[in-house]
Amino acid sequence: MAELAASKVAPELLRVEDLCVHYPVTEGVVRQREVGAVKAVDGVSFHLRRGETLGLVGESGCGKSTTALAVLRMLTPTSGRIFFDGEDITALAGEPLRRLRRRMQMIYQDPFGSLNPRMRVRDLVGEPLIVHGANRRSPGYRGRVNELLDLVGLLPDMGERYPHEFSGGQRQRIGIARALALEPELVICDEPVSALDVSIQAQVINLLMDLQQELGLTYLFIAHDLSVVRHISDRVGVMYLGRLVETAPKAALFATPRHPYTQILLGAVPVPDPAVEASREQPVILGEVPSPRNPPPGCAFHPRCPKAEDRCREQRPQAQRMDQGARVACHFAGP
Amino acid sequence: MTALLDVSDLTVTFRTDRGLVRAVDSVSLSVAAGETLALVGESGSGKSVTALSILGLIAPGRIEQGRIAFAGDDLTGFDEAALRAIRGDRIAMIFQEPMSSLNPVLTIGKQVAEPIWLHRRMAWREAYAQAAELLRKVAIPDAGTRLNDYPHQFSGGMRQRVMIAMALACRPQLIIADEPTTALDVTVQAQILALLKGLTRETNAALLLITHDLGVVARYADRVAVMYGGRIVESGPAAALYRKPKHPYTEGLMHSVPRLDGLASKRLPAIPGQPPDLAKLPTGCAFAPRCPHVHDACRASVPQLRALGDLRAVACHRHG
Repeated sequence: MAELAASKVAPELLRVEDLCVHYPVTEGVVRQREVGAVKAVDGVSFHLRRGETLGLVGESGCGKSTTALAVLRMLTPTSGRIFFDGEDITALAGEPLRRLRRRMQMIYQDPFGSLNPRMRVRDLVGEPLIVHGANRRSPGYRGRVNELLDLVGLLPDMGERYPHEFSGGQRQRIGIARALALEPELVICDEPVSALDVSIQAQVINLLMDLQQELGLTYLFIAHDLSVVRHISDRVGVMYLGRLVETAPKAALFATPRHPYTQILLGAVPVPDPAVEASREQPVILGEVPSPRNPPPGCAFHPRCPKAEDRCREQRPQAQRMDQGARVACHFAGP
Repeated sequence: MTALLDVSDLTVTFRTDRGLVRAVDSVSLSVAAGETLALVGESGSGKSVTALSILGLIAPGRIEQGRIAFAGDDLTGFDEAALRAIRGDRIAMIFQEPMSSLNPVLTIGKQVAEPIWLHRRMAWREAYAQAAELLRKVAIPDAGTRLNDYPHQFSGGMRQRVMIAMALACRPQLIIADEPTTALDVTVQAQILALLKGLTRETNAALLLITHDLGVVARYADRVAVMYGGRIVESGPAAALYRKPKHPYTEGLMHSVPRLDGLASKRLPAIPGQPPDLAKLPTGCAFAPRCPHVHDACRASVPQLRALGDLRAVACHRHG
């Protein structure tokens, strides 16, 4: 029900249109010349409504993290447009960009690498407030830091300690508190649980879902673990070699995956149940992901696709609207 | 079925700044030829140390007690030279990080041929020819020409195939694979594990698969041993153990992972608290601080692993 309400009623918070991020490939040491481009993101379009979670899945190098960095405007897109709350932010710079950054924050994968080991937890959590003009000595500042610690399930006295005194799961809580300090509207979670122990992953997933309810957050949730994505997302986008090959509401995507890559991906994930696994057909997976520097012509997935025919090798499939709110970029996905 | 590998009552300690740490405590396990045993646990549970002690690779750690019987011999009594003769020959190991386990300045061909040349005392040219054959066997395209490539020219999945080729080079009786696909993408993981499983079946090798992924265990293991805080807390045939886990930790773990075929419910039943710090283990059961069924006996004494019948065993006072 919540899913339905979010997609029908809630206004759009983020819209990405035909986003391309190409990195130049250079040769030569003294005089560098461009010899090509890595098309890390190549024509990606999606939108995100307020209060909704869009899961972005795909294997390493598919462009999901680059997409996130472009949305945050930590890198400038080669082409395409990004709208945040109705405003075109594609070319935003200087003070307006700084103001925008308060409204979108990121939770990183590695809770060990993303926290300054020489800062107390209290200062780590308060740092975004200081950067955006809060006074460290004001009573409001201290109260807000305590509030943030409490929000993510840490005790106030834990604020006096240093990151190394915490476990991975607790560090990730610190990272979450930091991301929430400025009351962002959009939170980009880049593999937020994949570095954590299995028994801790569930705690952090629950925390993220509780916070979303409580604060009305909108999540762009990037992960390679499809089971986690299925649990937390309302809609899911599947990326392959810089392209979004399928987007659909969660239920539709997992029940009836339409793109052959989505089907293979789902088949590759083992279910933690030997009885299910014994009766399941083991997938035959052809080849490997090609280099994004030299993607295959036509449909990027064609060399590995069991259905590929001539038009797949020649013509790049455009995303088509399907029933159940799905969009699929495949020549065989006709209505 | 007599076991090829029979570890009994193994205890391994490490001297650290924070005192003596018992990384592996009274662990017993066995694997038969042709069988896959999954050793499951979270970081610091002792699963990797258990595997490394089989190969005698735990320095500066110390084996305090226990036996590691491999095909009738007790490996704990072997000196370095004797262990070297076994490693890579009768027991092979596949590590998580194929990049850091391969020598970056040697060609793939040299690295795959080396164990054959070393253990089989074959002419180098013959060993090199066999290396090409092995690369073909692990489905590396253009195996013949790729022998001359260096590790950085291979993708992560291809490097892991090379590691498997090296491990299989001398037709080992036992293969120990420590998180062999954790660094790889899902589709590559499925390819690599299917390959490994197929090849071990072909040679009737025993496979000790170390992993934290309950899905991987369900797809590939015959039997499972679950580790927590340096001890095995539960073991048994995979199907039975998944159907009805007996230890509260195993049960909690099974329920807390989201599954592709489960109900996408609102909340995951998470296990509260943190995994234990091996330097500060509680007296009694290491899982007691997180256990929903905890009672006085759990805090007083460490529950021993007890056989329950049907090849199952559990270390929990509830089943005392």
